[in-house]
Amino acid sequence: MSHASTTSVGRKPSDTLSHIIIWAIFAIELLPFYMMLQMSVKTNTSFMTNPWLPAPPADWQWSNFSYGLGLIGPYIANTVFVATLGTAASLFLAICAAYFFARYRMPGSDILFAMFMFLMLMPGVANIVPLFTLLKSMNLLNTLWALIIVGIAGGQVFAIFVLKNFIEEIPKDLFEAAEIDGASHFQQMRNVVIPMSAPIIGTLAILMFLGKWNDFMLPLIVMRDKELFTLGVGLIYLNGEYVKQWGRIMAAFLIASMPLIIMFLFTMKLFVRGLSGGAVKG
Amino acid sequence: MLAFAAQNWVCVIDTSIDSLVTVMSIAWLKFPDMGFLATFSLARPTALRSLRKTHHYERHNRMAKVIIENVYKIYTGDKGKLVTAVEDVNLTVESEEFMVFVGPSGCGKSTTLRMIAGLEEISKGSIYIDKRRVNDVPPKDRDIAMVFQNYALYPHMTVYQNMAFGLQLRNFPKAEIDARVRDAAAILGLTPEMLERKPKALSGGQRQRVAVGRAIVRKPKVFLFDEPLSNLDAKMRVQMRTEISKLHTRLNSTMIYVTHDQVEAMTMGDRICVMKDGRIQQVAEPLDIYNTPANLFVASFIGSPPMNLFEGTIENRTNHLVFVEKTKEGLTPLTVRVDERQESKLQSRIGKPVVFGIRPEDLEDKHLVADPNPAFIISAVAEVSEPMGSETHLYLTTGTHTFIARSHGQLRVEPSTRMELVANMKKAHFFDCVDKKDYVKEFGEINVEKWQTACGLIV
Repeated sequence: MSHASTTSVGRKPSDTLSHIIIWAIFAIELLPFYMMLQMSVKTNTSFMTNPWLPAPPADWQWSNFSYGLGLIGPYIANTVFVATLGTAASLFLAICAAYFFARYRMPGSDILFAMFMFLMLMPGVANIVPLFTLLKSMNLLNTLWALIIVGIAGGQVFAIFVLKNFIEEIPKDLFEAAEIDGASHFQQMRNVVIPMSAPIIGTLAILMFLGKWNDFMLPLIVMRDKELFTLGVGLIYLNGEYVKQWGRIMAAFLIASMPLIIMFLFTMKLFVRGLSGGAVKG
Repeated sequence: MLAFAAQNWVCVIDTSIDSLVTVMSIAWLKFPDMGFLATFSLARPTALRSLRKTHHYERHNRMAKVIIENVYKIYTGDKGKLVTAVEDVNLTVESEEFMVFVGPSGCGKSTTLRMIAGLEEISKGSIYIDKRRVNDVPPKDRDIAMVFQNYALYPHMTVYQNMAFGLQLRNFPKAEIDARVRDAAAILGLTPEMLERKPKALSGGQRQRVAVGRAIVRKPKVFLFDEPLSNLDAKMRVQMRTEISKLHTRLNSTMIYVTHDQVEAMTMGDRICVMKDGRIQQVAEPLDIYNTPANLFVASFIGSPPMNLFEGTIENRTNHLVFVEKTKEGLTPLTVRVDERQESKLQSRIGKPVVFGIRPEDLEDKHLVADPNPAFIISAVAEVSEPMGSETHLYLTTGTHTFIARSHGQLRVEPSTRMELVANMKKAHFFDCVDKKDYVKEFGEINVEKWQTACGLIV
């Protein structure tokens, strides 16, 4: 009896091994974050003498953060501008397109949708050279608009795919009731589609925002002026241009990752709900 | 070089499809009647946007006649096959009338209603609401309101917001909206506290009330109901049935009501339109439909329990016409004399196959009838008896046909007892019995309902 009560159901010796593996992976995942945290409050000297363990709290260099913020402040502003505008516009267009694909058919709409899906298979990097040429001929090189426009076009496909399936799940009667109530298409989107697919739209918004926040390749290629850098590129250049003030660089990195961490922590529930939302609809 | 060109293409396709689709969808949504896109679309082209102004609704007149003229609904089904869902429907729903469309599922009744609502395109023919041809008028400008089977309430809005939504979109002043919503709520017995709830916090019956309320506040010319009670439990359905009837008396509006439940049709409708396979079978007042069904289908569809039907022939015996049942070999056929008043119309059918129909309530246990005429007595074996209290339902068989009798007494009948019943032949019906060979389905089965629609009433 006592034996049974002390052993968890399904616990086998082989589980110990998998637990060790999981913990190991977990540690590897967290190591960079830990290093960033503890380095962000050290001076170069204290880092050289003690690279692995946190410094005693009395020696913490809070000034690293104000300096770090000064370094990346403009990058953050650029990134927020690009990511917010790109996400909003991309989502809006994706909702329109998904609404159309989900609710109406016209000859060729299947082919059109299939082409969309095909685009999802295309790795973004494969487009880099022609994209560059295209942006060059559009005189958009070295502007934030290049990032925004490409961001708007690029993020949509996945969003349309997910949203279309979600909108198809909304009872048709609701749209018809709205139509009889006098709602135009945009009003139907606002009053039926958006409230009813809020979790999935939220999830998509987070994903898009994350993607644009972390975008590295495109800004690296398109941007030349330092003032126009977004975070992805800006942080890399920090590494190269200064005498390695590790503490300051890490403080800047930490500041740059903060919004994402905060956003993720607070929207985790929504995020999970959105991802599983399409599967079981109550 | 080639690779570069290919990549260039990919990129151009990527960007151009994206923008093309976006532009097309926005353009199409904004201007659905725009050129080729509109001709392709299955949705309704928008034509008239003239009725936006509030004053139109203020002085609106509830009297509205709905005329359906040679209407067809043809759509492309699987493998490009054309399917006719509604075929040559002609009907006039008078002003202030309560018209019920009834029929089995797939008979085209909902499609017809949806065409009136503007939710379904009209393939051929015209629909007029209040003398205006509405084929190309979008639903919101047809001055109709619709109540859906699954309520179709916006789940994220409160009851109040649900009811007010249509008025808000039409830019009604706030005070007017409030007054109308509260009026409708009072009519439907929705408490002010309920108005603040979300639909999911309401019972099925309450939700359906809200859905009706949403229709009432708009004060439309025509109310459309699409099987509004079929999601409710039996008790609630009876209650809501009377409430909708009362509402009709109170509002005096034209109402068109779709149901598959013939009891609802009989109890609610001023007139009933029975449909089958996309065609109207009969349009008449409930009792007319019950007493003189136009064909075998209507006869068997309307009435519960349904009319008993026997296949057989009319024969002339000793100066009287007699119906003789068509039986399996070796069984004695059921034989009953035809009522004198019906004989003249049946003369021409002597020797020909007919279907004899008699309602369960027109068959009574012999012992409960004073001085029965032996010519009208039929004999059959009781299989089951169901005492209902006020009456007894007897399930009987002649060996070939099974049928139901509704005796007014409280009978106790042992199974397998032979009984004698008196048929009230004055109320009997005779239908042509068309050859079933023409109504064979794919696997050799007979499409009974389709066959029934072809068997017209003789008398």
